[in-house]
Amino acid sequence: MTQKQKALSKEEEILLQDFSRNVSTKSNALFYGNAFIVSAIPIWLFWRIHFMDLLTSSPLFLIITCLSTYLVSFAYKKTKFVLKHKVAVKREDAISREISKMIAEDKKMNKKEKDERVLWKKNEVSDYEATTFSIFYNNAVFLAVVIGLSFFILKSFSPSFNYILSVGLSSGLIALLSTGTK
Amino acid sequence: MCINKNCLNLTGPFTMDNWLKICLVVVFAVATTGNEEASPAKLLFSKQILNKYIVEGMDIVIKYSLFNVGGTAALDVQVADNTFGPQDFDVVGGQLKVTIDRIPPGSNATHVVVIRPSKFGYFNFTAAEVTYLPSEDAAEALVGLSSEPGQGAIVPFKEYDRKFSPHLLDWLSFAVMSMPSLVLPFALWYSSKTKYEAILTQKKDK
Repeated sequence: MTQKQKALSKEEEILLQDFSRNVSTKSNALFYGNAFIVSAIPIWLFWRIHFMDLLTSSPLFLIITCLSTYLVSFAYKKTKFVLKHKVAVKREDAISREISKMIAEDKKMNKKEKDERVLWKKNEVSDYEATTFSIFYNNAVFLAVVIGLSFFILKSFSPSFNYILSVGLSSGLIALLSTGTK
Repeated sequence: MCINKNCLNLTGPFTMDNWLKICLVVVFAVATTGNEEASPAKLLFSKQILNKYIVEGMDIVIKYSLFNVGGTAALDVQVADNTFGPQDFDVVGGQLKVTIDRIPPGSNATHVVVIRPSKFGYFNFTAAEVTYLPSEDAAEALVGLSSEPGQGAIVPFKEYDRKFSPHLLDWLSFAVMSMPSLVLPFALWYSSKTKYEAILTQKKDK
């Protein structure tokens, strides 16, 4: 395989990565870890304020937390994918200027290599910003909806039922919202 | 037979009007002071629970009110409430058995007791008892019962706390636990965003 073909396939690789919905193992671990933490946080509220017994309700807590972890991480991935392209468009100019400034003195680098570097950097930055914003946004919506449901709408329900519905519906809602294309 | 007012000698101070007035005064005096025996003391007894919520482990304030509607003072008035057993209630303030020496006619007396239920559930608040002598020379004491507040629910403390406690410390702890999940990703995103927006604005300024 020639160098040109190698370079092209590398560019194609970056583009494929850019448009792919798949996340890397590292991102997966980050998403599942964050999703688990944020899904476990409402247990504190139900234990201390709704007076659910920790030991007797532990199987329920475990099941709902696992379900919520899956749905929240699903929401993270979908939201990240939608945001990534928006961020890439916004940061394109700034990134190319940053790269141009960095390689200004390196006259050996040709235009193609520069473009490749810009593309790679754009992918990296948009991936980073989309990941962090997706986590922040979904966490905020999830916690707000859990509090709203459990302390206002479902407050007359029994604590166990309240927990199942508030955490289940919140994680379901953010998963549903994340499937939107805008 | 003399039938005119000259014969009755109704002249000077002893006119018809004056006689009428004198008669009225005599009748009034007899009516008010003639009866030497006043009605015996009669006590009306009420028992009230002053709490809005009756909660396990929290104080209940009970007010006993005695009204003497009789004509004589009630003597040696003994109030006893045996409805709050020691296994279910603790007396926090006041006493469930009280003696009042005298309640004058037309006056009242009140007594307050503070108790604390040690268990939750439904409880029937029944009448307290009062015994008193209706008069000084009464041979036998009269026994009466108070009004009954009726059945009330003693709410478990957990339910009350869940409904009314502000849980400030718990909410603060929740906020502290949630902060890393919210603040950290936001801070990372924001730092990257401001960095690249700054690059754009720098170029525009140049």
